[in-house]
Amino acid sequence: MLTLDGVQVSFGGVSALKGVSMTVSAGETVGLVGPNGAGKTTLFNVISGIVRPTAGDITFRGHSVLKAPEWKRARLGIGRSFQIARPLHHCTVRENLIVAQRFGAGRVDHERIDEILDLLKLGHKADRDAVSELALTEHKALEVGKALATNPHLLLLDEVLAGLETNGKRAFMEQLALVRDRFNLAMVVIEHDIPTISALCPRVVVLNFGEIIAEGNPGAVFRDPNVVRSYTGEAAA
Amino acid sequence: MKRFLVPAALAVAYVAVPLAFGGNPYVMGLIVAALTIGGIAVAWALLGNLGGMVSFGHAAFFGVGSYTSAVLSMKLGVPPLAGLLLGGLGAAIASIATMPALRLKGPYFALAILAYAHIFQILATEMTGVTGGAGGLLSIPRFPTLLGVDLGSKTGGYIIILTIVVLSAAAYAAIRRSAWGLALKAMHDTEIATRVIGVPSTHLKAAMLALSAFITGVVGAFNAHFINFLEPDYAFSGAWTVLPIAAAIFGGYRTVWGPVIGALTIYLLDQLVFKELMPHGHQFVLGMLLVGMILLSPGGLAPILGRRLEGGQRHAHA
Repeated sequence: MLTLDGVQVSFGGVSALKGVSMTVSAGETVGLVGPNGAGKTTLFNVISGIVRPTAGDITFRGHSVLKAPEWKRARLGIGRSFQIARPLHHCTVRENLIVAQRFGAGRVDHERIDEILDLLKLGHKADRDAVSELALTEHKALEVGKALATNPHLLLLDEVLAGLETNGKRAFMEQLALVRDRFNLAMVVIEHDIPTISALCPRVVVLNFGEIIAEGNPGAVFRDPNVVRSYTGEAAA
Repeated sequence: MKRFLVPAALAVAYVAVPLAFGGNPYVMGLIVAALTIGGIAVAWALLGNLGGMVSFGHAAFFGVGSYTSAVLSMKLGVPPLAGLLLGGLGAAIASIATMPALRLKGPYFALAILAYAHIFQILATEMTGVTGGAGGLLSIPRFPTLLGVDLGSKTGGYIIILTIVVLSAAAYAAIRRSAWGLALKAMHDTEIATRVIGVPSTHLKAAMLALSAFITGVVGAFNAHFINFLEPDYAFSGAWTVLPIAAAIFGGYRTVWGPVIGALTIYLLDQLVFKELMPHGHQFVLGMLLVGMILLSPGGLAPILGRRLEGGQRHAHA
């Protein structure tokens, strides 16, 4: 479904991504991990079109999306959340989803909006202001909800569980699994919590200094000495 | 009660005002001028509230609309009523030339649009063969008589400009309520968050600029056929920018009807009261009034009226 081929990104003289190549298949859930500054969010920004790569190609469902702006990629089926929630201002929770659906999916389907609100346990806050009247978990859920309302094929979740306590994390993870199965989504999940990512993702990709240093099932990857060293601050072998 | 407010206001505007002031061309002329300013003020507020852009150059669109309709009717015989739409279209097309300025933010966009207004004024002055140059255009065709109503009269002109303002405000209100309006308002604070859910933010802003220019151009075209005369200094005068901004701020630039209420209030007060009391420098009193409004109610007059209305309603139910 998604193929990155030698994607490079430089900010001035700093290389944020150094030839990243990876694939995500339909319906697959992939964990993207790595220490702070590894390039995880930059990779999401490149896939969703916020940052243009300096080299490489990105194909989504068989077509290069390199030249497509963010809004076109959303309409093609790439949905994303932000690490710090960005609800639409001056809108209720429901209106956030209406805007996402009207522009991302092309038409407003109130049944699907109600279903998303129920799945994410936001139904009781549907008519509340999205900026000022939601708790942290609800803001995170709304991030996912907005992306879901665009009818995506691929969901990019950037630290959507960060800041939640253990029980909240577990509950939210279960919601994400439900959502994934209900809408038959592929997901790439950035997350620092190793038990969480291991439970949610059958495959994990590890980034460090803009390069993929390990990839595979979580059990093997998190025992990889290169991965351990990247987290302890030593240079990768 | 709110449900009946708009139909009641429209009934007063379309029936009571012509009946009350139809015999007084001076007052009717002032009301037409106030609504002309109100129409531009609605277009200006639409661009600010939905497009997120402050414009100092709406005189450009007013002038282009005026000249487009005037020239088409004088040179090609286009009927003035059709010229209204073509004037709006001309201004919307002219707004395409200003769209590179959409890359600029805040005051830089406002200043760029101001520069465009000057460029259009220079073009109108230099293109003598089409626009009559600095000497302007005389005897621009007046509006016809339709169904026994002389649309070229003060009362006829009032009906036309009132209809333009009502339709513009209705379009503005409809967009505000739609998903487009929600997306546009959200874009001001979180543009990237709207883009990743499929909102083509730059296209939407361009559409609002074109719509704002269209409305202003229609108002400009109306004015050309109403006063039957044009010259560049008048058509592109900064007054067509400053007065609508003052009206929108006074009336409530965040509301749909505030700019119209503001235009009617400040222009009629200025011309009928302050000018009588102080023939020279009456604009000073107007300026003080505007400052007073900003200090007392930064949201303008419309929110105050709204609160009074709701208070009255609660009182009636108690």
